[in-house]
Order: sequence, then structure tokens, then C-alpha cells
Amino acid sequence: MSRDGERRVEVGGQRARVRPIDFETAVDAYLVQRRWTRRELLERMAALGAVAVLTPIAAACQAAATVLPSSPPTQPPGSQTGLASPTATPAPTPQPTPESELYVYNWDEYIGPDTIAGFQQQYGIQVTYDKFPDEPTQIAKIQSDGKGGGYDVTYPASTWIHSLSSDGVLLKLDQSLIPNLANLAPAWMNPGYDPGNGFSVPNYWWTTGYAWNPDKVPGDLTDWANLWDPSLRGHLAMLDDMREVFAVGAFRLGLSPNTTNPAELDQILALLEQQKPLVRIWTEDDIGDLTSGQVWITHAWSGDWFQMIQDKPNTKYVIPSEGAVRGNDTMVILSGAKHPIAAHLWLNYNLDPQVSANNTNAIGYMGPNLAAQALIDPTIVNDPRLNPPADVQAKLVELGYLAPADLDQYTQRWNTLRA
Amino acid sequence: MDVVRSASAPARAEGSVRAPWAERLAGAAFVLPGVAWLAIFFLFPLAIIVVVSFGSVDPAGHVTLAQPGLQSYAQATRPEYLPAFANSIRYALITTVLSLAIGYPVAYWISRYGGERKTLLLILVMLPFWTSYLIRTYAWMIILRDNGVLNSVLMAAGLTSDPIPLLNTDFSVVLGMTYGFLPFTILPLYVSIDRLDRHLVEAGRDLYASGSGAFLHVTLPLTMPGIVAASLLTFIPALGDYVTPDLLGGAQTTTIAKIIQVIFTSGRDWPDGSALGFLLMAITMAGTLLALRTLRREVLA
Repeated sequence: MSRDGERRVEVGGQRARVRPIDFETAVDAYLVQRRWTRRELLERMAALGAVAVLTPIAAACQAAATVLPSSPPTQPPGSQTGLASPTATPAPTPQPTPESELYVYNWDEYIGPDTIAGFQQQYGIQVTYDKFPDEPTQIAKIQSDGKGGGYDVTYPASTWIHSLSSDGVLLKLDQSLIPNLANLAPAWMNPGYDPGNGFSVPNYWWTTGYAWNPDKVPGDLTDWANLWDPSLRGHLAMLDDMREVFAVGAFRLGLSPNTTNPAELDQILALLEQQKPLVRIWTEDDIGDLTSGQVWITHAWSGDWFQMIQDKPNTKYVIPSEGAVRGNDTMVILSGAKHPIAAHLWLNYNLDPQVSANNTNAIGYMGPNLAAQALIDPTIVNDPRLNPPADVQAKLVELGYLAPADLDQYTQRWNTLRA
Repeated sequence: MDVVRSASAPARAEGSVRAPWAERLAGAAFVLPGVAWLAIFFLFPLAIIVVVSFGSVDPAGHVTLAQPGLQSYAQATRPEYLPAFANSIRYALITTVLSLAIGYPVAYWISRYGGERKTLLLILVMLPFWTSYLIRTYAWMIILRDNGVLNSVLMAAGLTSDPIPLLNTDFSVVLGMTYGFLPFTILPLYVSIDRLDRHLVEAGRDLYASGSGAFLHVTLPLTMPGIVAASLLTFIPALGDYVTPDLLGGAQTTTIAKIIQVIFTSGRDWPDGSALGFLLMAITMAGTLLALRTLRREVLA
């Protein structure tokens, strides 16, 4: 996740008083809204005026209708019925005609440099590629109208799939249109956050460890416990991420980072309170804070470390011995997608081994694509910090969905720690 | 005051040819845009916040008003958040005092010695607004960082061997806020000082007041409304400031605005966030009313 300086900008945007950002946010939202209506208008004009071209449009609409859910998915979470259901129609359906446009909403610098151009060339589909600076902005925008805010495809973290799909923001995938799903490593065929990849396709995965400047902090650090070393006072950054920080405490105590037990959470809080005097910043920009020298050591995402070494090649990173979080993000199609066929093509295209490898080579996050492994830059695929061996992978834990009442337990303690 | 009022009343009666009801209608028409603005952009959002603050979050994560109650206010008043409250008040107070201390001499100087360049000088006070506040705050980050401009200069001059921690401290937060709010302090002070009748000061001097005596007993009391207005215009936004402490602050400088942001985003709990937000606003509003009432009593006395 390229959490660069921009991210803070929009985090700041939630403060009502500062006019410039609010104004930008408003303009942004307005533009998204307007593109929506403009397209609707065009469609209506087409429907009214051009009877001659109505037939192909109708065909496309029909094709779209086969993948559009008539109502928000009501399927209970965790049920296995989301697995690729064989198409009900006995006769093989002809490949539907894709739309001529596609609206994608993603992080900045989060994709191979040629991925978009390659897709446009291969399918003749015009891609509008918008970027969001941080997760709250992304989620707020796609939830603004409850069906994606005008976008066809976006890239939410896996932890969001549960609530987004139960809110009807996501389109149930037509897996017959994504044959490249077969390229996924077996471990990614049926992830816990989205059984059978019913609503999402895994995109990148990473670990959360810590990175440091060896000129300031000598030695090969291996444990989370090292982040409690009093000599780091004033030179340590922890991520401004509630779940990630509580996970660190949980790993140190040998607890699950998904615990909802109040006594265990109190234990974690007590441990983190001990660490707090050492912390200089709860950082939203681990890359900038380490490479600028503001801190010597920072809690960090593996892909951010990959960005750090582009600037400061001697920066070190470790997946701590006590265990670490494995995170991943996903590609999803939004329920309000105007171009669902093109969107499925986009997902399928990004699961192509070469495209997937190009994406990984650009930003250093491993993909779940088994067929792509041989095509990934050896310095990435052979680096145990980016592509950890099986015994380390066994110690990685996915952060699960928390029900609101459980989330409250975390929020209260996180704010107690921060206050 | 009374002299002015009684002098203008007959003049208005003479000049007015319209019936009283028509005048009232015209008045209403002029007030309407302002009222509509406040209703749409202040009262309506405020009403939403108040309503949501009595709700709760259902198991699916949506706000529900099924069992309205004060549970969110109980959350908002958790004693664990007091340190963040204290930080907010502390920063806002220090910022206000510093802004007055810096702003008053500046406003006084512009008013008394600005001469023909008064307008230019006032434009200079407002000049920073031409650049986005965020960009200016980022500039402070570059200046104050451990490897930043200021520390580089200090180290090159041999004044310190290791960088002095400036960014992510109380110092950087207060500096950033004072810098940001200073124009809000200077402008009302300027208006109030500029309006002051200089003959009153001269009269004070004629009655053997020293320069400082005349300032203390004439200028300062008569510009008190400006000081109060400037204080309010600085203190209130400083109390709820989110951007400055978030960008220039650190792990030890959390303010209540950050706590509210965490509840809304990480916690996804709109009722709790609304309750705390509304509480902060209510406290601010009560404080403002109190200050205004005190001011009115002082002015009338």
C-alpha cells in the first residue's frame, strides 16, 4: 500500500474547519456524482434517439443482467454456498460483449506501469483510473450511494469484504467470466474473509513487521520485544492502525490478534501503555518517517519497506519471530457497475500470470498468483521478507472481521492508549 | 450608545415612507439568505449529529434508532479520554495567549503607524491564506524535522551535536497553531484598536497618566471587546483543530479531535463519535455565551 504523504492530506480532510480540503473533497465527490449523471443522460439519450443501435445495447444490458443481483446478497457470512456455482443454463452461453468503458478506483502507484495500457490495447476498452489517498476516502466514496459511487472496480482490503458484501455494495462475481481464477495458489482459492472468492479476487498480500535504519539501530533484530527497548525512546514509530498495533501486543503475549476477550484486550493495552512513552509518532507515513530520518525504527508493511529500500537501500525489515499479520487486498466489482462485463475482464486480465508478475515487480507486494511466481523478479520472489518461506508463513495470521460490539472494545482501548 | 440611538430614530422616521409592515417584510427578505444558509449548513447537520448521538450501532454495523438512549454519551465521557481533552484545552489556551501577545502589538502598530500602507499591511497579514494551510503545515514539517532545515542550521552552527526534537512535540503543535490562527487574532484586534478614539488617550495623558498608564486604563479597556472577539476566534477553532496536531503532533500530543476521528473511522461508531463531537461543541458554545455575557456586562458597566 503506497501510503505516501498524500494520505495524510485526506485524513486531514475529515476535519471540517479547514476549508481547502473540504472544498476539494466536495469537488471530488461532485465530479464523481456528475460523471454518473452525465453517463445516465447519455444512456437515456441513446435509448430515446438511436433506435437503430438499440439492439446491441439491449444485448449488453441483458448480459449485464445475468451477473447483476436483483437484490443485495442476503447469504449469511461464512456459508460455503458462494463457491463457483455451475451456471444454471444448460446450453453454453455465448461470451457476452464487453462495454467500451471501465471505471477503476485504486491506490496510487499500486499497479504495473503498463497494466492499464495493456488492457486498453487488448480489449479496446477505455479505462478511467481514479486514485484514492487512503482507505476511509475509498470506503466513504463507494458507500456514498450504497453501490460503488459510480465505479466498476475497486481494491478494498480483505477485512472490508464482509461488511461491503452484506451491505450490497459488491456484485457477486460470475466466475465463468474469470477463467484465470485457476491461476490462484490453492491457499487463496477459499480465503476465510470471502469463501470461494464469491465477491472478491485476492490481489496482493503482505506482512506487517518492522523496518529500521541499521546506522542508528545496530544488530539483527528479530522480535516484537525489541520495540520495547528503552533506548528507542523518541525514535520509534508505530502504525496509526488500531488493529495492527493491537496485533503486535497480542503476538508478544502469545494471544490471537483477533481476540475479543476483554481481559486479554486489557492485557494487550497494558503492554502497549508500557511502550507508549517510547513512541514518537503513530505514523500514517511509515515510508517518509523512516527515510527522512524522523525515526530510526518503524512498524511497517512489507511493501512499504520495499519502497523504503528504493530510497535507502540499507534499510532492514523483519517479520518478527512471535508471529505477524498477513494482510491482503482484493479486486471487487461494485453492485452499481455500469460496465460489469468489462469489469470481469479486468479481474481476469489482472490474474494473467505476466500481468500479475508485472504488478508485483512494480511495487514489491506478492500476489496470490501461483502461475506468476516464475515470472516475478528474483530479487522479490527470493527475498524471504517479501515472500517468506513456509515455516514463517505458518506463523502469519489474517486479521478477521470484528462485529461492532467487539470493534468497540478495540476502539475504546485504542483511544485510551492514544489519549 | 444611547445618544446615537436617539439621534438616529427620528431621522429614520422622517426618511421612511413605507408602512411598518413593508419595512418588516423587507428586513425579513434580507435576513432570509443568512437564515437559510445557517439552517442548511449548520442546523441541519447539527440535527443529524444530535439524532445519531442518541442511536446505536446494530450487529450489521448500521446506525439504528431502535433503542434511543444516552449510552453514547456515557462512552463519550469516559475518564480515559480526559488527557486528550486536557491537551486540547491546553493547546488552545496557549495558542490564544501567544496569539494575543504577538497579535496585539502588530495590530496596534498597523493602526497607529501604518499610515498610508495600512491596507497593504493588512493584506500582508492575510497573505498566508493564499497558500493552502496543508502546504504551509507541510513546510513546517520540513523545517522542524530532526533532519530538517532548523536542526541542520543549529548543528552547522555548532549549537547542538544531536538534532533537537522539535517536530511531533508540544512545541511544534503550539507553534503550528499559533502560526495558523494569528491572522484570526490580528484582524479583530485591528478593527477594535483602529476604532478607538485617540482623543480619549490624549485626554488621559492630559490628566497626567503616563504612557503605560494611559494604555492600561484607557486603550486596553476600550479595546477589550476586540480582545474578547479575537480570543474567541482563536480559542474556538484551536480547541477543535484536527489538522495541526495530527500533522505536527506526535504520539504524546493526542487531542480530542483525534479521539473523535478514531471513533468515526477505525471504530466505525457514528453514535459514539457524534456524542463526543456534540459534547465538545456544547462545551464550546457554553463557554462562548459565558464570555459574551461577561463582555456585555463589562461594556455596559
